[in-house]
Amino acid sequence: MSNDAWTIAMAAVLGLVAIGIYGMLIVRNLIKVVVALQIFAKGTILVMVAAGGISGKPAVGQSLAITVIVADTVVTVMALALAIQVRRWCGTLDTRVISRLRR
Amino acid sequence: MISQWPSWIWMIALPIVTSPFIYLLGRLFQRARDASELKQRLQGRAQRKPWRANPVRWVSLAVMLASCVPFVAAWRELADGASLQFTVGIVALKFDGISLLLSAAVLVLGVLVSIFSGPYIGHESGQEKYHALLNAMIGAMLGLGCAADLFNLWVWFETAAIASYMLVAYHSDRAASLEAGMKYLVQNSVGSMLVLIGIGLVFSQTGTLNLAQLRTAIAAGTGSRPLLLASGALFCVGFGVKIAMVPMHTWLPDAHSQAPSGISAMLSGVVIETGLVALLRALSVLADLSSAWGAILLAFGAVNMIVGNLLALRQTQVKRLLAFSSLTHVGYMLLGLGFAVSFGQLEGAQGGVFHLLTHAAMKGLAFLAAGSLLFALRVARGDSGPLEAADLAGAARRYPVTALALTVALLGLGGLPPLGGFMSKWQIFASGVRTGSPVAIALVVFAVLNSLLSLAYYAPLVSMMYRKAPSDVVTSGAAIPTGMTVPLVLLVLVVVALGVWPALANGLTVPAGQVVLSIFSRQGGM
Repeated sequence: MSNDAWTIAMAAVLGLVAIGIYGMLIVRNLIKVVVALQIFAKGTILVMVAAGGISGKPAVGQSLAITVIVADTVVTVMALALAIQVRRWCGTLDTRVISRLRR
Repeated sequence: MISQWPSWIWMIALPIVTSPFIYLLGRLFQRARDASELKQRLQGRAQRKPWRANPVRWVSLAVMLASCVPFVAAWRELADGASLQFTVGIVALKFDGISLLLSAAVLVLGVLVSIFSGPYIGHESGQEKYHALLNAMIGAMLGLGCAADLFNLWVWFETAAIASYMLVAYHSDRAASLEAGMKYLVQNSVGSMLVLIGIGLVFSQTGTLNLAQLRTAIAAGTGSRPLLLASGALFCVGFGVKIAMVPMHTWLPDAHSQAPSGISAMLSGVVIETGLVALLRALSVLADLSSAWGAILLAFGAVNMIVGNLLALRQTQVKRLLAFSSLTHVGYMLLGLGFAVSFGQLEGAQGGVFHLLTHAAMKGLAFLAAGSLLFALRVARGDSGPLEAADLAGAARRYPVTALALTVALLGLGGLPPLGGFMSKWQIFASGVRTGSPVAIALVVFAVLNSLLSLAYYAPLVSMMYRKAPSDVVTSGAAIPTGMTVPLVLLVLVVVALGVWPALANGLTVPAGQVVLSIFSRQGGM
């Protein structure tokens, strides 16, 4: 992997992470929060693949990326399962309403 | 191949491998019981006496006790300063002083929480999930203590975190518990992804993930310094979310207070401490890069102490108050470890890990005692509300043992002399004074004042239990099952014993302190 490719990959990572964090900060719908989390996670997977490329060990980098994908999928499934329960018991997915319900 | 595995690997493998079978067993039993009850009802027969309790709690407890056996064997094998290695492919595991200390805390608290949780959630239908996840979480934390490469460390961490997300949201029909679970999940996932980016950067610069190889590579000047420093910052922030270092702590009070009480004890007693161990291991590879890591730990420690105390002062719910006091105690641990990293104080490292141990016992005891009172005053009567401080009025008359246990825990956390918390704090403060640096001494004075301040919220709870007339809630409270009292009594003995004979813990804290110091000792100048 050339240095240019590494720079482009890092720029893409920064972009994905920024979009993810921005999304998590402004959206109020739990499903959209999970989507933002996923965008963030895609950034970290790109880091792993790019790191394998630049350090000359692409196989290791890719196996790390696959492990991350697995862990990330499990987290997403659980987040969506929780969102279903929230919809069932609170009747809404709006985070503002949910935090008001608690009191 | 399996026969070649060293015995201590079984300590990690047993709880994880058996966890799905525990779930399956509990589920099958539950179904058999439901079917038999339905049959009785259909045949119009009067309900015979109900079936015995689900045996899943005993199986889970047996597995945890079984994994104590390889732990004790490994402890015997571990000579001074030595470590046990194990490698499969590029995955390396190492059992050293830190692993020993963390495993001891996790196993002891795990066994006691398992005993406690039997009656606590025995009447609920999802208990097989609870026990299976508890075992998986314990196994993952044991593995984390032994991880010897950076990515492995992350995988164990994520496994433990995934199990704990589900445990926090265990009461999935309560809005408060769902909100806490969601908050915990989102914030911790962001933290773990930041750590992952840090790991990716380190890997891109050095081409290796093994902690020992990374250490030598970075000491030799491999890689770009700004990128490696950035990954250090990512480790601090990412693991900081899990340790609840102060600006990243907002998930903790909700998660720790809404989880079932046994899980609160685990989360507060050992889960945040495993984050601390992971942070230490991850930062240690960058030790030669900069001398600022110790200062960062000290700064976060100071902020954690004061913010934790100020927030705890305003709480009226017992479990929320205990959750905020965890922030303060993480602060003390960071202080001790910070003295070790920046001034090379062995005492500080030992004090820090000793406080990790005493805090696990004291906070575990506090949450379990508060949990038994919550059970008697609320859960047993079908009320899912929180335990308010005002509900404790006069609890000592109706529940003398539980009230005594809660008192011992609170006074220990506040740092009163004959108890464990005093000894570990004393060791941290003494090491800070011994450095002779004015900043360190100022931090020690600050920590002592914080310790006094913390009594301002512990003492009213004690006075509430002993000096007030029993409230209506207490007089009409249910009885506390013996199974929930036994772990309390054992933990009281541990807290008192560590306070009277602190040398008892030397077998654990001395090797762990040496490891902390050795992984941070700077090899080359840079």
